[in-house]
Amino acid sequence: MTDNTIVVKDLSKHYGSGDRLVRALDHVTLSIPSGTVFGLLGPNGAGKTTLIKVLTGITDITEGDASVAGFDVRTQSMDVRARIGWVAAEVILDDDFTARENLWLQAKLQSLKDWETRADDLLKFFSLSDRADDKVSHFSTGMRKKLEIALALLHQPVVIFMDEPTIGLDVSTRRMLWDIVTGVHKEFGVTVLLTTHYIEEADALCDRIAIIDQGRILAEGTPSELKSRVKADIVQLETGEALDPAKISALPGVQEVRAQGNDWMIRVGTADDFLPRLFATIRTDQIRRISVEKPSLETVFLEVTGRRLGQEEPMRDVRKFYAQMRRARG
Amino acid sequence: MKIPWSPLWGLYAREMIRTFRNPFVLLITIVQPFMWLAFFGSSFSLLPAPELQSLFGASNYIQFLLPGVLSTSMLSVGMFGSMSTIQDKRFGFMKRILITPTSKGVVFITKALGSASRGLVQFPVMIAAALAFGVSFHLSVLQWAAWIAGLMLLAIGFCSLFLAITARSTDWQTPGVVSNFITMPLMFASSALFGSSHFPAWMSAISSVNPITFSALLGRSFMLGTPTDWSYLGYLAIFAGLMLSIGYFVSSRWLRVE
Repeated sequence: MTDNTIVVKDLSKHYGSGDRLVRALDHVTLSIPSGTVFGLLGPNGAGKTTLIKVLTGITDITEGDASVAGFDVRTQSMDVRARIGWVAAEVILDDDFTARENLWLQAKLQSLKDWETRADDLLKFFSLSDRADDKVSHFSTGMRKKLEIALALLHQPVVIFMDEPTIGLDVSTRRMLWDIVTGVHKEFGVTVLLTTHYIEEADALCDRIAIIDQGRILAEGTPSELKSRVKADIVQLETGEALDPAKISALPGVQEVRAQGNDWMIRVGTADDFLPRLFATIRTDQIRRISVEKPSLETVFLEVTGRRLGQEEPMRDVRKFYAQMRRARG
Repeated sequence: MKIPWSPLWGLYAREMIRTFRNPFVLLITIVQPFMWLAFFGSSFSLLPAPELQSLFGASNYIQFLLPGVLSTSMLSVGMFGSMSTIQDKRFGFMKRILITPTSKGVVFITKALGSASRGLVQFPVMIAAALAFGVSFHLSVLQWAAWIAGLMLLAIGFCSLFLAITARSTDWQTPGVVSNFITMPLMFASSALFGSSHFPAWMSAISSVNPITFSALLGRSFMLGTPTDWSYLGYLAIFAGLMLSIGYFVSSRWLRVE
């Protein structure tokens, strides 16, 4: 096996044609080193789930190449699938089955012979041994999520794909899941490709992060490498009346000015030097709101995409929406 | 080619376990043909025995009807099979299956066999119900086995047909619409409910190639003690094999994952 568990070269995935052509992935190139937790950070519709679908062989590649665990995704799909685990955004288990029966079915699908010991170990690791013979329809969301990760680990995969594993979870369950992901990575030494649109999640869990938007990888590196890209503070400003952009741009220390109506994003060397100059230029009663952000993944995202992660289109994936609704109902 | 026994068994067992753990589906599967027997079977109960004998070759219409009702009920198990597939697509379970080294063809075969087996659950219940309605059985072991095999082949054929038609669908309503579309013509243009000797020529033509006719006539010959045309079993095997092959091909290429 190569040092990179996942290698993606100039990969594109298109849906539709002509005027309705959607470039879900647009010439993506990525290398994911073995044994890392790699995060794909981007808004809904950025192409994160499509990339997972392509890498797991669920959908075809339009152009380009991809390999997982040393096997070509296009031509050796079955070899790839024998070496990957998958944790869905929405928990997908057979509710008519017990936890042990779900593991049994997973073992059958993976053609595993000696799976019972491994299953017992996993049930123990995830503190589910006492509930192994209970129907999973009676499980809490956290327990269901744990079982889903156990299923993904049963056949000792090389890679686990986690597609927005914490979407719609409450804060405490999300934190619990972060601990589990970290624990699984340490205990089983598996490479994890995790997609998320939560910046704090990517920052907390991932060794490396790629920022993806509109099907393209815009930046990639360790969290600290990405943060060091932004050698500036971001001043967010909302004014009560229109200002002259040239006047702001002319202030010393200003690197970039973006305006949308009366909302301003001003990139400056250091906010400590800039703010006194700003207050000397405009009247304080013109300012409705002002904030300063130091370099963070949030500001990296803002820099590479030109918008905040929350400023996105409504959720396109209907099933994810329903998954959130189900969890919200408890 | 290596046969993937492990996923075949796993997914087939899942279909069976889910059936027996879902009392409502099980109840409907059993009650539906029972109601046919009770209501439709009783519609000629006041007819004098000689007339029944002349019309149906039996002194009890239910004795004539039972093989036909069992045959037509194999149509509805196909609908349940494709509904179960759509449920797996909509709840993401199909994706969970296909992210393992399990092919779409294996999924199709287990759905077809699982649904067909589920349909056969009706057989002992209907036999018991017919006994309660005064029908007597004088079948040899070979005749019982051949009757069950014929129904199984018919069910596999129809389940495969439904699964092939709905391979790309994720709409709950599609199996019902397809069922409504094909059930009526196939049921009435067959010898399931009445003999075809009084059919117009065009209906006789359809009936003579309708697999429901083959299954009904096979079972009826055992029930009425008339000579058996064993080629019906061969036709049913061809029907099942053909539909299974078409369904396998269609599903392998076009089965939607979600």
